[in-house]
Amino acid sequence: MTDHIAFPDAVQWAVPFFIAAILAEFLWIALKGRGGRYETRDAVTSLIMGAGNIASGFLLGFIAYGFFMWLWQITPLDLGTSIPVIMLCFVLDDLRYYWVHRFGHRVRWVWASHVNHHSSQHYNLTTALRQTWTYTFTFMMVVRAPLILLGFHPAMVLFVGGLNLIYQFWIHTEAITKMPRWFEAVMNTPSHHRAHHGRNARYLDCNYAGVFIIWDKLFGTFVPEQEHDRVDYGLVHNIGTFNPLRVAFHEWVSIWRDITQPKLSLRHRLAYCFAPPGYSHDGSRNSSAQIKANHLARNPEDRGTPGFEQFGPKPADQSTKQA
Amino acid sequence: MPLGILLALVVGGIAGITLLLHITGKSRVHVLTPEAASTQWLRHFPDDAVIDVTVTHDGHAALVRTKAGPGLLWSFGADTVARYLLDCTQHAHPDGLAIRFRDFSAPYVILHLDETERRHWHNLMDPL
Repeated sequence: MTDHIAFPDAVQWAVPFFIAAILAEFLWIALKGRGGRYETRDAVTSLIMGAGNIASGFLLGFIAYGFFMWLWQITPLDLGTSIPVIMLCFVLDDLRYYWVHRFGHRVRWVWASHVNHHSSQHYNLTTALRQTWTYTFTFMMVVRAPLILLGFHPAMVLFVGGLNLIYQFWIHTEAITKMPRWFEAVMNTPSHHRAHHGRNARYLDCNYAGVFIIWDKLFGTFVPEQEHDRVDYGLVHNIGTFNPLRVAFHEWVSIWRDITQPKLSLRHRLAYCFAPPGYSHDGSRNSSAQIKANHLARNPEDRGTPGFEQFGPKPADQSTKQA
Repeated sequence: MPLGILLALVVGGIAGITLLLHITGKSRVHVLTPEAASTQWLRHFPDDAVIDVTVTHDGHAALVRTKAGPGLLWSFGADTVARYLLDCTQHAHPDGLAIRFRDFSAPYVILHLDETERRHWHNLMDPL
């Protein structure tokens, strides 16, 4: 069993590239007059969230790493560190990312950590850096356990996870409209990820991919960006603060306020923690499914189009089938 | 990467980008018209219907009367944020009026109102 393997912290080494790419994107937008927009306080908040994410890794990273090293001690498997193994680890870790990301949108406890990444109404390269400070508290590190038990060294698993995050940096842009068709078919791209950041009913809960968009196509969560339905970035209920502390913790505070309401059953309190965002014990809030249904009530012509397939075909299609 | 270099890159990068954005005019605040305020309200609450809109003289906030109840829309950097005036309190403020929401993600808004507006807005919001 190999205990001491060193991989570079890829995200830290990418920091100069992040800064250079942000400057390049800003310059591009300024010169072309299109391809996105920047706002000072929004961008600064995103950058501070990114710095805080690195700091939280320094402070709390030992918890996940300790857990991974414990798993590494108990597993009898060791796949080594050859290039094919690293590549396989990268692909499997991307599958892991898909599910963690999906949980991040469908389980409020995990959403409380991930929500800050979606809290900007802008979509530019600084938005990519608007990252969580509280990931450790979601306990989503357990989703990486199978990889380590299969014999992928923890240092390698964290290394490929870092590469995954670096890949996702460049897709947070409006400066690139579409990549070549073959690339759009396999890889996560700016177009696919713009849809993921949309608060439009059509784009809620779609495109969870990190690197390979094939996972969304495989698990039925893929929604292509629609030219006629321009992405409106941000949250269903947008936040009104640039204070990084409020950005980082606002959903945790909301959970606390919800579960400490008087006269709730234990089931309701647990649902406020773990049900999909939008749950309420009295039906006063809307889930993403209800938001989509409300949208279709106002816009029945959208029924059956991407993002609304689960509500059945368009009325015209229905009549054709009935005929 | 050595911690000192990482720290210098992060602090220098944030400071440099902030300065660049500010001096190139990216700190300008969204200015509302009644039409824009109505459109923005429906962007935030698409199931609602707007009855009428009162915009502050500086165009940075609007009181929106809707079928679902009164709400406040305000400029938030280059964008807007909106909340129904349900769980909130209003306080006098040297610049006009301060609205405090029981909402950790949107704790308060300061409305810049001149003397005439202050009385008008106070009356509009009085039922609250």
